[in-house]
Amino acid sequence: MGPVELLHMSVFSQSFSPCGRFLAAGNNYGQIALFSLSAALSPDATTRSQKPVLTFTAHDGPVFSLVSADGRLLSAGNGEVSAWSWSDLIKKNVRALWTRRPKYKSSLEIPEINSMVLQPRDNSLVIGGGDNNVHILDLEHGVFKSVLQGHSDYVHCVSVRDRESEILSGGEDGAVRINSRLCKVFCARPQYGKWISCLTTDSDWMLCGGGPSLSLWHLRSLSPTSTFPLTGCQRQAAFHQDMILAVGDGASVSHCLLAGEVKAQIPCSPQSLNTLQLNTNSSEHQVLTVGGSSSHIDVFTNLSYRAFSLSF
Amino acid sequence: TEKKTTLDQALRGVLGDQIVSTLLTAIILTPFILLGRTTLTRLSTCADLLRRLSKSQNTVFCGRIQLFLARLFPLSEKSGLNLQSQFNLENITVFNKNEQESTFGQKPAEEKEDGMEVEEGEMGEDDNPAPCSIPIDYNLYRKFWTLQDYFRNPVQCYDKFSWMTFLKFSDETLAVFKSYKLDDMQASKRKLEELRASGGEHVYFAKFLTSEKLMDLQLSDSNFRRHILLQYLILFQYLKGQVKFKSSSCLLNDDQTTWIEETTKLVYQLLKEIPPDGDKFGTMLEHILNTEENWNTWKNEGCPSFVKESDELTRLWNLNQDNMEACRSESREFMPSLDEFFAEAIEQADPANMVEAEYKVVRNPNYGWRALRLLSRRSPHFFQPTNQKFKSLADYLDSMVSKLAKELPDIPSEEIKTGEEDDDDNGDNLLKDSNDSDKIVTNQQMDDIAAKLGAQWKTLASHLEMKAAELREIETDSEDVEMQAKLLLVAWQDREGSQATVENLVTALTAAGFSELADNLNEA
Repeated sequence: MGPVELLHMSVFSQSFSPCGRFLAAGNNYGQIALFSLSAALSPDATTRSQKPVLTFTAHDGPVFSLVSADGRLLSAGNGEVSAWSWSDLIKKNVRALWTRRPKYKSSLEIPEINSMVLQPRDNSLVIGGGDNNVHILDLEHGVFKSVLQGHSDYVHCVSVRDRESEILSGGEDGAVRINSRLCKVFCARPQYGKWISCLTTDSDWMLCGGGPSLSLWHLRSLSPTSTFPLTGCQRQAAFHQDMILAVGDGASVSHCLLAGEVKAQIPCSPQSLNTLQLNTNSSEHQVLTVGGSSSHIDVFTNLSYRAFSLSF
Repeated sequence: TEKKTTLDQALRGVLGDQIVSTLLTAIILTPFILLGRTTLTRLSTCADLLRRLSKSQNTVFCGRIQLFLARLFPLSEKSGLNLQSQFNLENITVFNKNEQESTFGQKPAEEKEDGMEVEEGEMGEDDNPAPCSIPIDYNLYRKFWTLQDYFRNPVQCYDKFSWMTFLKFSDETLAVFKSYKLDDMQASKRKLEELRASGGEHVYFAKFLTSEKLMDLQLSDSNFRRHILLQYLILFQYLKGQVKFKSSSCLLNDDQTTWIEETTKLVYQLLKEIPPDGDKFGTMLEHILNTEENWNTWKNEGCPSFVKESDELTRLWNLNQDNMEACRSESREFMPSLDEFFAEAIEQADPANMVEAEYKVVRNPNYGWRALRLLSRRSPHFFQPTNQKFKSLADYLDSMVSKLAKELPDIPSEEIKTGEEDDDDNGDNLLKDSNDSDKIVTNQQMDDIAAKLGAQWKTLASHLEMKAAELREIETDSEDVEMQAKLLLVAWQDREGSQATVENLVTALTAAGFSELADNLNEA
């Protein structure tokens, strides 16, 4: 990996191992890197500990999405989903367990997969892709169960409400669909466009944003409760305790209060951020990691300041 | 044993307080010169006490002893001053530098270092050390506490390599402070209320608690931040300042100076952002540090005494011990004599000099006031009663001036207005019998008036201040109105005696409305 490639690298996805000691990150070159959090967080960590323990090429195209389930790491790239075993990867054994491809209408053009999310209730993987559809893959049998249609443009992000078995998808067409039923289109900021690039749910609440401002919605009544005055488009948001963390344009992680106030904006090293992950799998490695338009991944031990960075 | 230690400390505390307060009272009441040998004894007692006590455990007591020592010496006593600007190099901050020292999983056999906070739960209660439950940023932890060594011994900053380290670590630490803003006002307000309600004592730690696990909490504490930022400011003041005892190699180059200035600005900005009342705190700090400059200058000058001695002041003071006596001395007699003061006025009064009225000095109110005061001190004329009514101070002074002119030998005083002489004589009437027939109303005049008055004599009576009883007497005495008028005038003359003057009668007549009679009388 030459210096020029490093300069142009973007990190699109992250996922923590089930034990919580490792972080997998996918970049625009189709690579996945494995970082050892326990090494990086230990008292005698050096700069070497901040480098990956393993890097391998997973796909031809950028790895837009990574999901961990059942001891397996699922990665999406160039229209296909691959599964890897975490224990194998930790032992530096690179071997894909399987690779699947949803049925696309045309076989000429292969749409990318933008987002994946696990639906634990029926052990299925929800995939949102460039073909404007949401595909559902049954993980047990390895078969694509169904397709949700309805978006008129590609699907950016998907999320699930497990209790209600609802799948939410947000797309370039500016719509959020619940189980492919259309919801309202809203909170527009015309100067940025209408696309929805980030979607996340927490039982009855939904955060969505992108072109429009990041806003918090109450799902039962399908009405917005608060809008967050963040400049730039948000690409990923998460609920954390009684706060909302959001990343997007701008070199900072925004901490927002549920009422709509921006509490703090913590500076980071990448100029803009694509992915934000909280490690809930291990309490001693409970860190926040963010990655974006740089080969560095910022690690926060304390949410209010950047502790150090991992780098490809 | 814990209980014993607590009791012991409590006892020491009470004893300590009592000892110190007794000594202090004794010292305050005794003038310093008399202390002599007893001072030495007390000094050695204090020094002994300080040696035996632990500064971190008996902080308050040690502090009181030191305050007591400070009171003992006068300010300029050199043995009480840190003349060479030395630092307390023994104040070392300990922290975990590597994994072996980590408090996680420490076995009980290992010694506990002073100032380290160790959780009791982890000391030998398990065989397997409990893993840490939160991620620690060791990088920041180490860099942060290394900074304390620079604050302990600032002279290190002048060394190039140490300075680079200090720079790097400081930049990182201050960047964290900048990124991690303390703004949870709702929560901190509640806490403050709780503290105040519980009568919370001010919490004081003699040394920093440097456990890794506390780092996060410390970073979110306003007071802790203020401590660290203040340390920076004090350090910068020392590095930039002129101190006599710094060696000549202790100089900052331009880069260093620039960095210090920029960082000082950043530090003040961070201070102002710390709630509560960050602004006020920052301004107050700035002020205090400026005051420190004065003390620094004082030390550079060799700690001169604050008691000023001046020859000139001593001479002035010794001129006369008793202020009242001094005021009474002859040389302080500034009042002029009458002839000195009035010479000019007398000359102006002389008609031969043809001084116009408006230019006369007696018209000057300032002069007039001084003239009155002088007259009251030096001239008997001031106290002579006179019937003459003066329209203004100037007129009064004119009359006084003419009187003085006659008396004072040096000044020519011949041709003064005669009207004043009449007044003069009038004023002297009380002192000598007045035989001047011009003044007293004659029988003939009274007859004339009585004839003209006739029945109207009663009108005149009220203006002559005759009593009703007298009027009734006059009426019974005679039936002839002319006779009654004559009787009235006679009664008036009897009563007035030497005051039965033409002028008085003229006044009364005019007032009663007999202006023609008054004029006739006047012309006579």
